Amino acid sequence: MKKKRIHGDGLLHGLPKIYRTMKLICMFMFVALLQVSASSYSQTTKLNLSGRNLSLEEVFSRIEEQSEFSFFYNLKQLDLSRRVDVEFKNKSVEKILNRVLAGTNITYTVDNRLIVIHKKGETTGDVGWLQAQQKSVSGKVTDINGLPLPGVTIVVKGTTQGIITDTEGNYSLMDIPAGATLIFSFVGMKQQEIPIEGRNIINVQMREESVGIEEVVAIGYGTRSKRFVTGSVSSVDMEETKSILPNTNVGQSLGQIAGVQFVGSGRPGQSGDILIRGQNSLGTSSSPLIVLDGIIFEGSLSDINVQDIKTIDILKDAASTAIYGSRAANGVIMITSVKGTSTKPVIRLNSSYGVSEAAKWLKLQSRDSYIQRRIDYHKQADDQVDVTNLANLLQPDELENYNKGVFNDPFKDLVSRQGCLRTVDLSISGRTERVNYLVSGSFSEDKGLIKGDQEKRITFRINLDTKINDWMTIGTTSFFSSRDQSGITPSLYDAYRNSPFGNFYYSDGSVKFNPVDNEAASYNCMYDYELTDNEEKTQNLFSNLYAEIKIPFIKGLSFRMNYSPNLEWHNDYSFMRQDQHITGNNTQANKNIEKQFRWVWENILTYKKSIGNEHDFDLTLMYGRNHYELDQTLAEASLFDIDNLGYNNFSLGSQQQTNTYYAEKNGISSLARLNYVYKKKYMLSLAVRRDGSSVFGANNKFANFPSVALSWIASEEPFIKKIEAVNLLKIRASYGANGNDAISPYQTKSLNATTHYVFGDGGAATIGVIPETVMGNESLKWESTYASNIGIDFAILNSRISGSIDVYNKTTKDLIVMRTIPPTNGYENTYDNVGEVNNKGIEFALNTVNIQQPKFQWSSSFTFAYNKNKIVHLFGDIDGDGIEDDDIGNGWFIGENINSYFDYEFDGIYQEGDTDIPSHSEPGYVRVKDLSEDGDIQTDNSDKKVVGHGKHPDFALTFSNTFNYGNFSLYVAMNSMLGWEAPFNLVNPSDKGRALNTIDAGYWTPENKSNSRPSLTYTNPLETNWYFSRDFLRIKDIALSYDFRKMESTFFSAFSSFRLTLSVKNLYTFTNWIGPDPENCGDGATSNQGSDDLFPMPRIYSLGINVSF
Amino acid sequence: MAFVLLVMAGITACDEDGLLEQESKSNLTDASILNSKAGFDSYIVGLIYQFREEWQASDKTYWTQFYNTDMYCSIENVSQRFNWAQKYTSVSDFAETYWNWAYINMIPMTNNIIHYAEKNASIWEDDAEKNAVIAEARFFRAWTYNILANLFGDAPVVAEIATEPRFDYTRDSREQVYALAKEDLEFAAQWLPETTEQEGRAVKAAAQHLLTEVCISLGDYDEAITSASNLINSGLYHLMTTRFGNYSDQPGDPFSDLFKDGNFNRSSGNMESILVWQIEEYTEGGVGSYGRGNNFVRGWAPFLTKFKDPDGVSGFIYDPSVAGTDTMGRGAGFVRPSNYALYEIWENDWNDMRNSGYNMRRKFYYNNPESAYYKTQWDVSHAKTEEDTLKIVYPYSLKVEGPLFQGGSGRYKGRTKKDLYVIRLAETYLLRAEAYLRNNQKDKAAADINVIRARANANLVAESEVDLDYILDERARELMTEEPRIRTLIRMGKLVERVRRYDMDPTSRETIQDYNQFWPIPQTAIDANTGAVLEQNPGYSK
Repeated sequence: MKKKRIHGDGLLHGLPKIYRTMKLICMFMFVALLQVSASSYSQTTKLNLSGRNLSLEEVFSRIEEQSEFSFFYNLKQLDLSRRVDVEFKNKSVEKILNRVLAGTNITYTVDNRLIVIHKKGETTGDVGWLQAQQKSVSGKVTDINGLPLPGVTIVVKGTTQGIITDTEGNYSLMDIPAGATLIFSFVGMKQQEIPIEGRNIINVQMREESVGIEEVVAIGYGTRSKRFVTGSVSSVDMEETKSILPNTNVGQSLGQIAGVQFVGSGRPGQSGDILIRGQNSLGTSSSPLIVLDGIIFEGSLSDINVQDIKTIDILKDAASTAIYGSRAANGVIMITSVKGTSTKPVIRLNSSYGVSEAAKWLKLQSRDSYIQRRIDYHKQADDQVDVTNLANLLQPDELENYNKGVFNDPFKDLVSRQGCLRTVDLSISGRTERVNYLVSGSFSEDKGLIKGDQEKRITFRINLDTKINDWMTIGTTSFFSSRDQSGITPSLYDAYRNSPFGNFYYSDGSVKFNPVDNEAASYNCMYDYELTDNEEKTQNLFSNLYAEIKIPFIKGLSFRMNYSPNLEWHNDYSFMRQDQHITGNNTQANKNIEKQFRWVWENILTYKKSIGNEHDFDLTLMYGRNHYELDQTLAEASLFDIDNLGYNNFSLGSQQQTNTYYAEKNGISSLARLNYVYKKKYMLSLAVRRDGSSVFGANNKFANFPSVALSWIASEEPFIKKIEAVNLLKIRASYGANGNDAISPYQTKSLNATTHYVFGDGGAATIGVIPETVMGNESLKWESTYASNIGIDFAILNSRISGSIDVYNKTTKDLIVMRTIPPTNGYENTYDNVGEVNNKGIEFALNTVNIQQPKFQWSSSFTFAYNKNKIVHLFGDIDGDGIEDDDIGNGWFIGENINSYFDYEFDGIYQEGDTDIPSHSEPGYVRVKDLSEDGDIQTDNSDKKVVGHGKHPDFALTFSNTFNYGNFSLYVAMNSMLGWEAPFNLVNPSDKGRALNTIDAGYWTPENKSNSRPSLTYTNPLETNWYFSRDFLRIKDIALSYDFRKMESTFFSAFSSFRLTLSVKNLYTFTNWIGPDPENCGDGATSNQGSDDLFPMPRIYSLGINVSF
Repeated sequence: MAFVLLVMAGITACDEDGLLEQESKSNLTDASILNSKAGFDSYIVGLIYQFREEWQASDKTYWTQFYNTDMYCSIENVSQRFNWAQKYTSVSDFAETYWNWAYINMIPMTNNIIHYAEKNASIWEDDAEKNAVIAEARFFRAWTYNILANLFGDAPVVAEIATEPRFDYTRDSREQVYALAKEDLEFAAQWLPETTEQEGRAVKAAAQHLLTEVCISLGDYDEAITSASNLINSGLYHLMTTRFGNYSDQPGDPFSDLFKDGNFNRSSGNMESILVWQIEEYTEGGVGSYGRGNNFVRGWAPFLTKFKDPDGVSGFIYDPSVAGTDTMGRGAGFVRPSNYALYEIWENDWNDMRNSGYNMRRKFYYNNPESAYYKTQWDVSHAKTEEDTLKIVYPYSLKVEGPLFQGGSGRYKGRTKKDLYVIRLAETYLLRAEAYLRNNQKDKAAADINVIRARANANLVAESEVDLDYILDERARELMTEEPRIRTLIRMGKLVERVRRYDMDPTSRETIQDYNQFWPIPQTAIDANTGAVLEQNPGYSK
């Protein structure tokens, strides 16, 4: 390898001479101090050198070629053009230099392997005050295995001063400020920033980037180098994500991982729906388990300040998650918060501001089409209405507004507003010899696109880790969050239906109940919004308190105890004020006060042992308990004559009612895990967890969840190691079991609710008791998932291309389902363990560094995930026809996706002249296929089939690119979800002759014979739904940022980060979905008449700043 | 080490199984409530709440008991006439609603009361106390099974408490269903109290009345007559022939007093009230789960506010703040009486009290001050479209009008705060008349009908004129908007015949098929019953 020499030119150029001089002097002083160690190499290294007419530079160069010496000099100051003849054999470098420099005004100073050439006499002068601020630093850069890493660039942050490591990975920098930070970078490796903090020697271990193979990952009850992880674990470096997208959120970051689906609505305070590797469960939660700093966290992701997160690790396969047995069948999200990294306190400020607009609104009837639809309806209905007279088509107040030119699109003109988001986050972190700390606070406000849809959030965090003595560490990771979601939204259901020619407010400005006086079925979408005061707040106090003890007498044995209390308050208060325009008293106040308290208590014993160089063991034993309780009070008061105290004084309401609810859930867990590594390349993990949960029947409280995993770092084998292009090849295989107890307590029992009845006239309410509709099941037991996983991790071409491929097969048995039962049982449904569901899938993640030039870099990340979900068994073959029976009542079909739609198959529209129109239909009605081919369309199930499936897509893809050019970087991310459908029934015509609005999706008329939309007189006799594909491709994020630190400015170089980012989220979506957004389609799209799920997806433009110093 | 010891102590000290036991902390179970007198009482109050839910759980379902019959048709939109092939299918939601109400809301509660009253026998002072509780449960069980048999024909009989889910139900014959009801009612008629302080609860007469109907269905006419006679002769009830109650000082007649707010319960002096669904505004439990009062104005009264005078100006306005416009409430014309109900049945005697101006609204006066026709009488010549007379202006029974329901949801127009009769003595006479007729005692049948007609100051009927159709006509006159007509017609096997004869809706007349004599079994019930085939009624899709 050719040595790279850093010439002094430029380093000191341009600075005042005195300053320059002082810097050099300072360096020499240190050299003198370090003389003992520094001189050893120069004295023991003997060199041979011969040549004629060599310049001094050539001499230095030849010395460098045969030794580890580097020369440092400034050509502007020195005349190195002197030619010499040399002939040295086995001489020390001092000898050689003394000889070639004899008679010049040039001398040298040796600092270990660095030789500085300078003018004589520059070592004198009083520079004592500079000594503390001017340093030289040297050290060795290695890879994770301790092998030297040549060619690593080291730059003093905020300057262009730098050097490159030699073949032995050594470097040495002189003349740098004591408070400087060094930036170490190398292709394919993660850039590191290390503050000098007064040290002279800084040895650095570089880790590979993106693939993160050498990163330490959280694996549950401990951490492990990713290299030795046996399961399928993906990680997100949130530090990086946050710097690219200042207003990112957790869910969205997770969505970039292959096999993790994040479906979100973009609404304020909504944490979205996260699904890892398909839906296992039919009736219980499919949400992954969240583990926050090593302890189970059952609150909302919305409570966690994203800026506090350092990394997120996702455990995907059963062997990884088995150690969390009970709740881990849906995968585990391990969140690790930020810790202090340097003794100098790091103060970090992150702030962003954004404005949002609707990416798309549902298209409602326009001014003209509203009337045209009415005309067409009367024509089709043939009801003798004179359609030439507008008075027959519109209500009087509608007509008046029509004539006045008043027209509202209730979505755009009434319920919506300009959305905006702002966040400010401030943190201080650092460490001392014994204490590591992070204190942070944040404020954010997210005003959604719909009035009243908003969240204000404040969070505080303290992470504190204190080493009491050599054998004991205690600490806490704690946070408090307060989320204020006060305000109610206008009714989108009504906004959809309200006549665009309606009057929404009286002339005095107060809200009307019916926008059209005679249309009592249309309630003003703004009515509740205008008259209701609402306060809704959630406060969450979460803490993990821990103590860790290194057992003094047995090396490698340590004990850790975690106690994690979590208290969550939720209150939702509302008050409806008197509507002055009605005679009755409509005042009503509600208070819902909820307190949830959870704790987890864990005792973990870890023993690590290495035998020789070849055998490494670690053993973990855990015993723990957990508890959950919910305490709820629901109060209601109405008939307030004095209404100015709102929901704060219920005794002013002459009618009052209170309900209370309490529930609790308890669990017991124990775990044993053994990890074994042989020759640092063969890994084995064995684990078994036993869980008990109070929610199951008396004899089924406990279940065992074993797992086994193997992996092999093939690239460590000599035959692969010699292939230079391959940097990593690792093969993994695992099999394990998980459980799921995510159901509410008391499902083993049939419960009763309370109600009231008033006997006689003017009497008081009498208490009544009625059964709930869920039948108890005393034999309810654990749902178990058995999963296997085979995976490959690879990195090639200097790790510029890296990635992983995983294939998995998950089978879930004894599914806990909310099963519809025959009503003759007296109940609608029951929780039951039935059947078997299978999820098979493949995940592929690829990270590439496409261009790596000094001024321009381009890297990409691509993920692909496919999951095939199907029901394998249900109840067996009850009717004895040799084919296992479907459960149509519950919508479950053998061999089909869990979320299947069973319906008639759409086959166009019956046209006039068709001869096969069944008795229940007519021209303009939907034609469905006669699947049973019996010549008739039956209303039983014989003509139906599974026409699609929804809720989760089959395919999820993401593609993100980062471009760096100079101080600019550009991030472009796209995502796509494919292979899912959902019903959207607003296409059905409803309330055609009335003053109600509707979607503008077209309709059949005798003149315009649509074959995709029905006539306005269509009554949907078969109760069939309209299905649309939810497939989409979205330009999710574009972010352009400018890094001021890279500017040659002393002001900005004082910062360790100074970045401005302009970004746009949800720029454009390619889709055929008819509603506002395919991702946020809601489950309410089965309505014919409107839906409260018609929220648009926001397109957000933001500006963010990220500063730390 | 101290930590380790602490842990070890923690592990060994606790009983793990005990820790995982669960006892519902804030919900009662059947076993934990049905073990005291107070518990039974609350449970029965819950049962009565569920009983009212047939009507109060939704805004429209109860009307399915009325329209698409000889008396009423359903006019949601004039263009969309009632096609039985489209509307009467196994996926029709009203069939599911009724089936589920019967089997989920009603029957299990009655079975639980009967089971636990016997099981916890020690809580009762004597058999009479226990039997009174069981009697109320058995009355409501019979009430429910009678409706099931009337609507669906054959139906599964479930008379035990549920312990674990079953999937193998089959239908018992209609006779078996009636037989269970009869047995229950015989017990209930023996043990229910004659009167109750809590108006709205079941009394002896309710059981006797229903027993009459069930016995007719079973062909046990003598028993039917006996039961009805026991009621009529008890001395506790008589038809109201004089003015009474809250509005007796205002213009009206005894028949109109029966349907005035506050006059439905016995304590108002109403001696023909037997069982009443209670409505109360501004009180918890005053209405059912839909929460909006008595919706009969909405159902039966015409959609007057849609009408435009000949100038095209709204003729009728509904605005509670404008005096005089709120007397009618706001109709929406969902249940449109047929010409049979509005005209044919009165032709015999137009001066029948039940057809008086206090009981039928046949004249309409423009009430919109903006209209040039203000205060003048509406004339049929003002109607321009079919809809105008089918849905917007037509005569209707004043039984449905009343003071507007305010409550917490007073802004929902079209509801009143009036109670609703479930059983009224007049119907008992008509049931006994039917039993006499079927028992070939035509004279007595005529006599019973004439009790009713006499009270209405109508011409008396001759014995020769009495037949089942006449009884149906008389029921129409007396029980308009009260009697769930379709149940009577199906019970008597007259639905298809009379729809073909009297239904105003030509599509309905043409599309009804013989198999529509019974309701379809809901597909959801068939689909959930995976362990056996729950047979569909013949004619409907399998």
